[in-house]
Amino acid sequence: MARYAAVLLLLFTAGCAKVPPDPRASQPPPEVVATQAAAPQPVATPVAPTTVRPAPRVAAPRAPATPPVAAPTAPPAPLTLDLDALEAQLKATKAIGFFTKISLKNQVDDLMKQFREHYQGKSGPTMTDLRRSYDLLIMKVLSLLQDTDQKLASAIVSSREAIWALLSDQNKFANL
Amino acid sequence: MNKRTVVLAQSLFVLALFAVPSFAQDEEALKKDLTAVIALQGLPCGEVVTVEEQAETDYAVSCKDGNMYRVYLNAAGRVVVEKRK
Repeated sequence: MARYAAVLLLLFTAGCAKVPPDPRASQPPPEVVATQAAAPQPVATPVAPTTVRPAPRVAAPRAPATPPVAAPTAPPAPLTLDLDALEAQLKATKAIGFFTKISLKNQVDDLMKQFREHYQGKSGPTMTDLRRSYDLLIMKVLSLLQDTDQKLASAIVSSREAIWALLSDQNKFANL
Repeated sequence: MNKRTVVLAQSLFVLALFAVPSFAQDEEALKKDLTAVIALQGLPCGEVVTVEEQAETDYAVSCKDGNMYRVYLNAAGRVVVEKRK
């Protein structure tokens, strides 16, 4: 009987054990993988660090004026867009709570409705307004994900322009 | 008290010991979720401090800044945040 109790205790402790996330396993921040076009975004740029490094008191001897060697530029990663996979990951992520997921879905539905109205020629929002709404919605999602599900946040950042390309093209949007 | 009863009592004690933090975690997750929902609606709150379940998917919450809301899922499947007085 004591053996059962010990096994039970082990099971409870194993179930409740919380393993801290391994920082080495974390994905690179979204900015690194972002392959976005230079579209206007209402995103607040990160504030520059306020700490300024003190300049060295003694001037270092100047290096001979050689032209800076350009870093080998890697070819941009192709934009892969798997909407179904993204949707599944968003549904499955534990970084966003139940109510928040539904609230986000409501906002996505509202945005899709606005796109439909725009393409139907109704007096709806302009494409600039739609782009702003889209960017804001993406930012909301990213702000919810970036601390706890960096992998998914990176995937969304990578797909951001591809999704916009689908939405902003009337023919592609009709096929969604 | 026989040995079996002692073991059962010990198991129940251990269960209770680990069940309490689990409830607390659920409560904190719910508060975080509701805080995010209120923020997504663009309403002031700061942080949800107390949650009272009125029905399934229907909560009365109070915020750190003093605002109080009712957050619920309506029949159309939309999350609604209503200000309470």
